[in-house]
Amino acid sequence: MARQRRSDEYAEFATARAGHLYRSACLLTAGDTHLAEDLVQETFGRLYVRWGRVSRVENPAAYAQTVLTRAFLAHQRRRSSGERATDVFPDLPGAGDGDAPLRLTLLDALARLPAKDRAVVVLRYWDDRSVEQAADVLGVSSAAVRTRCSRALGRLRALLGEDLAEYARP
Amino acid sequence: MPEKQHQDPFEERLTAALRDTGGAFRAVDRTALVDAGRNRGRRALTRRRTGVLGGVAGVALIGVGGAMLLPSGGSDDGEQSSVASRATARASASAAAEPVSGDTILKSLKELLPEGEVSEEDARGSDEKPGPYAQVVFDDGEGAAAISLGFGRVEPGGSEVGQLTRCPDETFVPYDSCDSGRLEDGSTLRLLQGYEYPDRRVDTKLWSADLVTAEGQHVSVSEWNSPAQKGAPVTREDPPLSTEALKKLVTADVWRDVVAATPVRPAPTGSAPSSERERPPAVSGKDITQTLAGLLPAGLDVVKKGGQDTEFSYVVVDDGRGASLVQVNVQHGMDDVAGQLYASGETLLDGTRIATHQGVGDDRVPGVLMWTVDTMRAGDDGFRVVVSEFNNGSAHGRPTRDAPALTMDRLREIALSEEWDKLR
Repeated sequence: MARQRRSDEYAEFATARAGHLYRSACLLTAGDTHLAEDLVQETFGRLYVRWGRVSRVENPAAYAQTVLTRAFLAHQRRRSSGERATDVFPDLPGAGDGDAPLRLTLLDALARLPAKDRAVVVLRYWDDRSVEQAADVLGVSSAAVRTRCSRALGRLRALLGEDLAEYARP
Repeated sequence: MPEKQHQDPFEERLTAALRDTGGAFRAVDRTALVDAGRNRGRRALTRRRTGVLGGVAGVALIGVGGAMLLPSGGSDDGEQSSVASRATARASASAAAEPVSGDTILKSLKELLPEGEVSEEDARGSDEKPGPYAQVVFDDGEGAAAISLGFGRVEPGGSEVGQLTRCPDETFVPYDSCDSGRLEDGSTLRLLQGYEYPDRRVDTKLWSADLVTAEGQHVSVSEWNSPAQKGAPVTREDPPLSTEALKKLVTADVWRDVVAATPVRPAPTGSAPSSERERPPAVSGKDITQTLAGLLPAGLDVVKKGGQDTEFSYVVVDDGRGASLVQVNVQHGMDDVAGQLYASGETLLDGTRIATHQGVGDDRVPGVLMWTVDTMRAGDDGFRVVVSEFNNGSAHGRPTRDAPALTMDRLREIALSEEWDKLR
């Protein structure tokens, strides 16, 4: 009975969040959609195990994002080349539409950041977390997040330059 | 601290670009993702009930290197950490001193500040999530200014100590002055006078002092020449506290008690020694610099070198006609994004894939060019070498010359050099 309820509640939450989590994972992995799927599954697995507590936290969606980010960093730490698919290329995001090259440029720039810096950028600018919240997710001090963030922005400015100009506000 | 939403234009564009790019990814099958997650969760629960620990990940977390400040009962990143974190929590519970409240931290801060008016006080105690902090607006009569105080723990002697206390690389983060050194008690202190926005589009100054004690206690004080970090107008020429006053504030003994009173738990992002061995070692930044320097044509002076510990490095060269930044990324395991990176490129006879770009390097500064040659060696290790150059000497300056110092042909030669394979 309890197990059924856990399962239903989990399914409802997970289905609602799957799209967003998957997109976050795609940015974290700089476009590696296979790894992104794996990380989302890992995240959901962890949420399922802890569902009793997760469902009571103030913001389960933010919690899920936190679990995803940590799963990504844990994966980066134990990554071995053997784990990576060598024969499958990820789908191009929105392939065929005019923005595709720009998206690839952004993903490439993200790929050139160290994993933790990339996680900081995704948390701050995609997930809209404050410096303090990002520090909490990553388990480092706010000062460390600031340091990483300003370094990552410096690198991204250099790598992206005018490529982002069309995102300028009118 | 709740941050104001105002961002500099680059940050706004980055946010928009991330939204657009992230939004373009569509989950293939949500139900499949949800079901697979449930199955993983069920398997983990079964393992737990039968007393089997979670394999590699479970072992990995026991050897945790870093630790963070978190109130007791804080969030947990998953079932595998339960054994390790419970053990650590028990070990540290007796060591943690009495909690220090947010009010006490504010009181200590006000006592240590010079004469002036303090308003908009905000703080968290050592047992509050996500860790202690204080923030006030201080006015010594010259204009209101935000001052904030943060606390943390890092692994003594670990790499994070350097990241927090080393002066940043001016090539990427401009600042007016920076001083980093060791104090008599073995602590490391960095005093930095920099800017809230690295491109200084808005001249909000951010001055900070970061102290890391020999035991790994981290205390950070930041101050601005504006009553908020972002988005509020500048109210004064400089932040109110001189570097000497900042030093006095950050080194006050009372802050060490705050860190000591904060419960420890293993960092979710702590090192994972047992699994670290499986990973191919990241190429050291020093080796990259050395290789790059060896490949530069004669007649170029290397006026500056720098980079990160691993995977990235740069040199600034000058051929007598102005500085030019040349940067290199060397990465393993990038084969899974090769399809994207080299979609518009060519494949050489030996299987090396190559893509070149010649574009604008900085939309805020007219005339900055960035030229890139991006290569990936044949093989299943996804070994990638990307060389880029600019017609200026830093990532944020005006152009110092008409074109970057190296021709595209020369850049290509450098990127394709067999010397890089020695780092493979």
